Amino acid sequence: MNAMKRMSAAVLCTVLMLALVLSGCSGKSGDSKAAGDTAGGKTKITVWIWEDAKNVIDLNMPEFKKQYPNIDVDLHVLAQSDVYQNFLIAASSGDQLPDVVNLESLRLSQMIETGGLLDISDKVAPYKDKMNAYKWADATKDGKIYAMPWDSGPVVMFYRNDLFKQAGLPYKPEDVSAELKTWDDYMKFAKQLKEKTGVAMLAESKSQTDGVFFQQMLWQRDLWMFGKDGSVQLDNPEVIKTAQYFVDLVKNGYVYEVKPWSDAWYSSFQQNKEATIVGASWYEGLLPTLIDPDASGKWSVVPMPKWSADDKYSSAIDGGASLAINKNSKHPEEAWKFIEFMLGKEESQLKMMKEGGLFPSLETTYNDDAFKEKVPYFNDQPIRTLYIDAVKNVAPITYTKDYPLGNELITNAFAEVFLDNKSVESVFKKAADELRQKTGRK
Amino acid sequence: MQNFYWRWQFKTAPYRFIAPFFILFMVFVFLPFVFSIYLSFTNWHGEEVKTFVGLANYKTLLTNREFWQSLLNSIFIFLLYVPVMLLLALIFASCLSSSWMKWTGFFRTVFFIPNITSVVAISFVFLLIFNSTGILNQVLMNAGFIHEPIPFLETPWWARISVSLLVIFRWTGYNMILLLGGMQSISRSLYEAAEVDGASGIKSFWYITLPLMKRLLAFCTVLSTLGTFSLFTEPFILTKGGPNLSTTTPVVLIYKESFQNLNMGYASTISIFFFMVMMILSLLQLRLFLDND
Repeated sequence: MNAMKRMSAAVLCTVLMLALVLSGCSGKSGDSKAAGDTAGGKTKITVWIWEDAKNVIDLNMPEFKKQYPNIDVDLHVLAQSDVYQNFLIAASSGDQLPDVVNLESLRLSQMIETGGLLDISDKVAPYKDKMNAYKWADATKDGKIYAMPWDSGPVVMFYRNDLFKQAGLPYKPEDVSAELKTWDDYMKFAKQLKEKTGVAMLAESKSQTDGVFFQQMLWQRDLWMFGKDGSVQLDNPEVIKTAQYFVDLVKNGYVYEVKPWSDAWYSSFQQNKEATIVGASWYEGLLPTLIDPDASGKWSVVPMPKWSADDKYSSAIDGGASLAINKNSKHPEEAWKFIEFMLGKEESQLKMMKEGGLFPSLETTYNDDAFKEKVPYFNDQPIRTLYIDAVKNVAPITYTKDYPLGNELITNAFAEVFLDNKSVESVFKKAADELRQKTGRK
Repeated sequence: MQNFYWRWQFKTAPYRFIAPFFILFMVFVFLPFVFSIYLSFTNWHGEEVKTFVGLANYKTLLTNREFWQSLLNSIFIFLLYVPVMLLLALIFASCLSSSWMKWTGFFRTVFFIPNITSVVAISFVFLLIFNSTGILNQVLMNAGFIHEPIPFLETPWWARISVSLLVIFRWTGYNMILLLGGMQSISRSLYEAAEVDGASGIKSFWYITLPLMKRLLAFCTVLSTLGTFSLFTEPFILTKGGPNLSTTTPVVLIYKESFQNLNMGYASTISIFFFMVMMILSLLQLRLFLDND
């Protein structure tokens, strides 16, 4: 008898062990069944989102709860890279969670490619003409739309008016925008700035550039690492010329060498090492808080310089995000209500801009007075009107699913130019070949 | 009846005790491994359909410079840090085992702490130290040793050296403990005899400690070989594998192909091939061991 007991205890232990192990790998779907069920008429949707984005969504949550008391929203915060990795697992295992996922434009095509997102072409149809046109390109595959645009990152030029003044350069926004129209002008400004004050025009890294400065120039010129027909364009002569411009800027000594977003990069602003940032609208939120909090009144904004004054497009895009629905979600309708409320509603988008600094992709908001507001940190300059001009003059470029790879090859190409003293042409030709080989593109 | 159960239980008990390990091993190691062998013959970017491509991925792997570069990087990093690390570990271990040393328990702990501290935390601290305006450059510049900041993370060789320094910091203590164990098993009488014969401390270290430690040092080297090739967190946080692939180890490459480029099939190919290289290397080293005996 005793032995029987002991044996059943052993069996029980083994079963428990097994249960533990198995629940370890299927925990998520188990949760979703329990949580996703409509308890007492309430539906719970889960949103995978990163921290900054959640803070902005939170601004609109009280209103959302008022309008949809029956939808519970669980904003599940993940590190940005974890959102992609976990969603990849969720998509390939047909998981019901999350219902909604937050995706950056530059990873969106990749995620659509996995087939894990819901086709929402019908749902977004009313918004087709109201959003920045370029945002739809990355959300579309084979004529179907898989994501709703959230915010855009039109590129402008932020500059230090005090340093420009010291160097004897024009420093008022209207004067600067009149005299600094092209990248050639930018080079001239850089020269005078360097000679008079010793300050660099911008901060970038030779061997570890994030490629953004160069890619913004490409975008503005309606060039990209891939052509409209999908072919690799890194060895296009115009792309090589653009790369050469960046290399010249560095070799002339107009660039303070530091890795973007590194600790030294942040502190370089307080040490007055560089005078401009050619960057997206979201710098407006970062400059007064993280990058240069003590420099109120010293920064001004002008449009991005152009390659040549009569170019068709005048600006570029860096960043921006979208929201999408999981194909296997049990509550696609509720998920869409959430997305529509947050991104399709003008009041929500305006609130996220005013208090969260995200520039909306929703063009119907652009007439609001909030865009004409003077911003104290920027010397009371009404800088947001510049973003509107910029975003309306952006070439319709798509990041495509091979962007992360292309971006890495560009970083390595510049490293080779600067470290091994090779010619831009040879290095970019090599990078283009590698990109062709790895992606199977022409 | 009772007798039968008792015998059945007696015979199977050992297997049931080790079963949890094997269940976990099957689910989390062996099955994923088999699955990745299958993946290595497919072209898969995370979508539902996996296209079978045969040996195409292996062909790409053998002709692509990245993989060979990553193996070469590991060899460079290995050569940079293993001799220094083992020398330091040997010096510390012989200090700690000598009779004049005080507070040995305290020092043993101190040297071992880096090894059990979160590697991510350590890597971020080193990132701050190695920054172009970081504390190391500031100290060296203020002391007048250098005039321009050292590009610790910006040029290929300095980046490799920086990664090596981080590895030395993390693993010297561990190797020291291994060597310490070895030293303490050397009989005191050998040293006493040497002292009677008039040998100095350094001489007895050279002629007694070192020869008797040979095997253990070889063992530490073997462990470091495997460790170097599968180095991931340190280079990933410090340099993201750059500049220009100079600190990309095979595992960093696998991570990039799978989670950055979503080339799951090709990433699996790299890991299977890498597994085979490691296995051959380990077998060779084991063989050397046996021969030395």
